[in-house]
Amino acid sequence: MKTFYRTLLVYLAFARTSFQKRMQYRVANLAGLTTNFFFLLVHIFVYTAFYAASREPQPLNLTEVRTYIVLCQAFIMLMPLWGGRSEIADTVKDGSVALQLVKPVDFQAYWLADALGKAFYYLLMRSLPAYWLGKLLFGTVLPQQLGTYFAFAVSMLIAIYLSTAITITTRSIAFWTLDVTGVNYIAHTVITFFSGLFVPIALWPEWLADIARWLPFEGLIDIPFSIYLGTLTGVDIWQAIGKQVMWTLVFIGLGRGIITRGFSRLVIQGG
Amino acid sequence: MIEVRNLSKTFKVYHHRKGFFGTFANLFSRKHRIVQAVENVSFTVTRGEIVGYLGPNGAGKSTTIKMLTGILVPSSGSVTVNGYIPHRQRKENAKRIGVVFGQRSHLWFDLPVQESFELLRRIYRIPQEQYRHNVAMFDELLGLGAFFQTPVRQLSLGQRMRADLGAALLHNPDVLFLDEPTIGLDVVAKSRIRQFIRQLNAERQVTVVLTTHDLDDVEQLCNRVILIDDARLLFDGELATLRRMLSKERLLSVDYAEDYSDVRMPHTRLVHREGTRVQYRFSPEEIRTAALIGALLQKFNIVDISLQEPDIEELIKTVYEDNLILRETSKLI
Repeated sequence: MKTFYRTLLVYLAFARTSFQKRMQYRVANLAGLTTNFFFLLVHIFVYTAFYAASREPQPLNLTEVRTYIVLCQAFIMLMPLWGGRSEIADTVKDGSVALQLVKPVDFQAYWLADALGKAFYYLLMRSLPAYWLGKLLFGTVLPQQLGTYFAFAVSMLIAIYLSTAITITTRSIAFWTLDVTGVNYIAHTVITFFSGLFVPIALWPEWLADIARWLPFEGLIDIPFSIYLGTLTGVDIWQAIGKQVMWTLVFIGLGRGIITRGFSRLVIQGG
Repeated sequence: MIEVRNLSKTFKVYHHRKGFFGTFANLFSRKHRIVQAVENVSFTVTRGEIVGYLGPNGAGKSTTIKMLTGILVPSSGSVTVNGYIPHRQRKENAKRIGVVFGQRSHLWFDLPVQESFELLRRIYRIPQEQYRHNVAMFDELLGLGAFFQTPVRQLSLGQRMRADLGAALLHNPDVLFLDEPTIGLDVVAKSRIRQFIRQLNAERQVTVVLTTHDLDDVEQLCNRVILIDDARLLFDGELATLRRMLSKERLLSVDYAEDYSDVRMPHTRLVHREGTRVQYRFSPEEIRTAALIGALLQKFNIVDISLQEPDIEELIKTVYEDNLILRETSKLI
């Protein structure tokens, strides 16, 4: 128990370091915030036009969709899939992964801890300002029950871990092909599409939505935000969270396998 | 402490075809060749030794260090460090070793040195007392105090190297691997770092394996040198032995009054010629110094003459160029 506690402290220290590291670049953050805001505007205008032209009742009303979009732009930065450069692949490519590997540290746990610190930073510096701005301009809906906030927080936290686990897995391909841009580009497009980042899955045609429900990626965006909007309720919430947890564990397992095999064929770049 | 037996490492290097169609063809079939980075190297290092691991660029030094630190898997042969097999027991091995790569930093680039040290304290689970003691000691020896609160990205190379060296030794490792620790540093910084390594070695019996191109490092630190070239072991023994073996050769510099076309002399090798200034290398066993100078005076018109024992850099260059002692080492090891 004591060892576990001390190990936890080490990785919490990594998370803290990751947070401090990013605190150094506050101007860059402001630029990022502007980008988020730009996408927010574009998406909201598209949907406003779309709802104005449509007479049929939609599964989500316009305010709900606007809320969904605000949430997307406020929270995607918490997830390594969309937030920032591929640092893992960078360290393999430039050889600095060596410095990580000569320390008694678990490679995967390190990056999971790093992601947590990063997420906390973006929560304070991006999510809150972006959400507040979105709410002020477009009037978002707020959950009515305290329990919903709690479920959303849990689901969002798991989403961060799912995103990190997926990222570590896809980017560990760097151990085989040094340049991961190609593979990641394809993976990124597929994942982004099926996560519901562009269009909430509730608005998709039935057959496509069914495919999305079988894939892990709805756990990144659609599940936490549907909980927030209240389109998921009661038992469905916990079922959805269960699905997120399961996929997270699958990707952590998969990532471990890939990393173990990757190390054995690792070539450290540079002298 | 360190046992290396018949260690080899091969890499596959892919051949990249040039041009647009070549890149396209690379997708389907890639030709590769096998590069032997380390070939059948064996040595043993005992506790408290400082070993200089030397060789020209691309000889396989860094590859060996990487295998000793557990971040590369050997193709064949065996390595143990502190009784651990580094690549199988990477984390256990990591707790007992310290590593400094001259070209890269262990420290967190965006954080003050102190924050990196605190983080390392947690990673290696260093007891508070030991941590405080080490930081105070490193401050005294390396002068870390002056930049302890400065972010690493703002440090000069010399400061960064000192901080890195301290960082690698915080957890009292048994073995210290230094990969070109003085690269690019000025004379003062170099001497400070060497003194620090010497003192740590004397006080704590830290075993040190050092790769370097700076032969002053070797002369001042190492009691033993291992030379490798072209992936193979050339020499393993005391620096003094190497010097004795090679300093059989001497260097004679001659300034001629005229620009002779043929200045070759029997029993000598002409190693350098620049205008009227010529350098010969010769072995006193083949031709006595006095006899050589006498012969030169008879044959040519000479302005100045000087005789020197070659410095170690010269010696090692000879070894690399001629594989000179490869034939003789068998007797020595």
